[in-house]
Amino acid sequence: MLELDEKFFGRFGVEYNPNEIIFCEFEPGYEFYFIQKGRVKITKIINDREKTIDVLSAGDVFGEMSILEEEPRSASAIAIDKVRVLKFHRDNFDTLLQGNPQLAYKLLLIFSKRIYDAKRRLMILLLEEPSVKVMDVLIMLAEQNPQYDMEGEITLYTTSQQVASWAGMAEADAQKELTHLTRVDKIDLYEDRIVVKNIRDFQRVIASRRKNLYS
Amino acid sequence: MASGFQGGIITRGYKSGSIIYFEGDKSEYIYILKSGRVLLTYTKIDTGEEVKEEVRQGEFFGVKSALGKYPREETAQTIGETSVLVLNMADFERMILRNVNVVRKMLRVFSNQLRRLGKTVRTVLGETDNVNPDVELFRIGEHYFKSGDFNKATYAFKKYMEYYPNTDYSKLAMDRIKAISSGGGIPQGKPVKPAKDDDLADFSMDDDSEDVFSFEDKPSPKKEVKPDFSFDSEPHEPALSSELSSEMDDFLSDDNTLDEFGDFGLDSNHSAKSEPTIKEKFDGAVASLKTDNYKSALEVFSEIIRDGLPEKQQDKKIFIESYFYTGVCYFNLKNYKNAMTHFAEIVKKYSDSERMKESLLYIGEIFEAAGQKDKAITYYNKVANASPKDSLNSKAFDKIRALQKS
Repeated sequence: MLELDEKFFGRFGVEYNPNEIIFCEFEPGYEFYFIQKGRVKITKIINDREKTIDVLSAGDVFGEMSILEEEPRSASAIAIDKVRVLKFHRDNFDTLLQGNPQLAYKLLLIFSKRIYDAKRRLMILLLEEPSVKVMDVLIMLAEQNPQYDMEGEITLYTTSQQVASWAGMAEADAQKELTHLTRVDKIDLYEDRIVVKNIRDFQRVIASRRKNLYS
Repeated sequence: MASGFQGGIITRGYKSGSIIYFEGDKSEYIYILKSGRVLLTYTKIDTGEEVKEEVRQGEFFGVKSALGKYPREETAQTIGETSVLVLNMADFERMILRNVNVVRKMLRVFSNQLRRLGKTVRTVLGETDNVNPDVELFRIGEHYFKSGDFNKATYAFKKYMEYYPNTDYSKLAMDRIKAISSGGGIPQGKPVKPAKDDDLADFSMDDDSEDVFSFEDKPSPKKEVKPDFSFDSEPHEPALSSELSSEMDDFLSDDNTLDEFGDFGLDSNHSAKSEPTIKEKFDGAVASLKTDNYKSALEVFSEIIRDGLPEKQQDKKIFIESYFYTGVCYFNLKNYKNAMTHFAEIVKKYSDSERMKESLLYIGEIFEAAGQKDKAITYYNKVANASPKDSLNSKAFDKIRALQKS
């Protein structure tokens, strides 16, 4: 946890009630937030349904893209419990950094992770065939969970819709590929999860496709 | 390769042509080039082109992959006799905490990379960058308006009015805000919660009116009589052994000391003369809960529940939340029977509420506490499989694994 707490709270502290919006998707945003207490969910409205992308709690930072970006918010932040946050305007960023190097460290961690995730996604998108893209999404999801044993059967808690969105495809197309993989007994497809029989198989396929992609 | 200490941080010497790390390696070390030369070789994702980049003396390398805990994206090789400082993440943290300017520089570099990547991703996806944020913001408001979540709708419409006062939908946004504030925000679509009134008519706080859970499926401890009990099943015998239940009651009555800490959360909220609103009451109780003042919290939550299901949509939500939190209080007080009754109620009646998943998780924990491993796993599984995936899923997953090992 960061140690900025009390003396900053008076100046920058804001409280939100359960289910209150902190900021809304597509709203212009110039502030970033540091959670002191309670949980915040990050959501997006996709196909007219509210999807939770992430749940954050004390010690987490959100809205940090506004520090350097001029873009509207890419998701909404909504308080789950009674939430207490420190809210900083981007203009105060340098001053804040000077007094709170821990925050800077935390942001470095967040950015490192984000960069990797974005690169990984790009690698999937650059593959040509839909079937291979879908396989690589499954590999990526498996990689995200270091506790998985890559030698064994792996259960991914995901849906064809999520796979489609990672792969940048229409849901029907992703569904088609997943159904095919099920038919050839590479995966078991359930409504809420996908069981991959042998992820190493997929990794070999992808590795060779990637090589060919550049040659 | 020679190693030596310098202020707790290792200095490592390499011969010419040595590999410090390979692309694909996983490691949490971060390096600073002290003397000599280091060449980083990586493959560009989009073109497959091999790119070489030389590290300057005094510069860090291997930072992002160490911090982000992902495999190295480049190979680092020395040219000539080279000496580097090797930092683990703690060393790195200590070092940068003393030198904020370095961090600021890194943040700028990282965020530039992130921005470029974001652009490339959007291009590959064929997404144009010119969605209209104003129209989209209005749509968010409409979504919440139609689903009856009026607080959120009001927020989005107000922001729309604030930032885009003279645009296409400003009149409509204004009308929506007015409709909501006059209480006439009747959702045109289907309401979020298909809570049937008749369902709620027989709603009762009475503990034994409907015992939806069996703590122990009656006598035979070896075999499970009803391995897959369902919440829809007919009321059956209150199955918690009376011994256990009286133990729990003792626990409760021993707990008076909790009151002495006072519920200042409530007091401060309620100094005003006027009758507190359901929301004020609720917030106070949540504050008590958060300070582990379960008994005070329980009193207020019970009061809210006793008043019955409110008319207003947002109050209904508070009502369900109160139900959930009552379960949480009982759970923390180890009064598992009452906890189960409340969580089961959410699962049965408010299965579309945001608390559904957490309730299932708690039910699993109650079974686990009661030593009913299989049932615990059944419920953890429901959580693990529920979408969207969030931290609750992984929590459930961890619990299943722990139970399977035990």
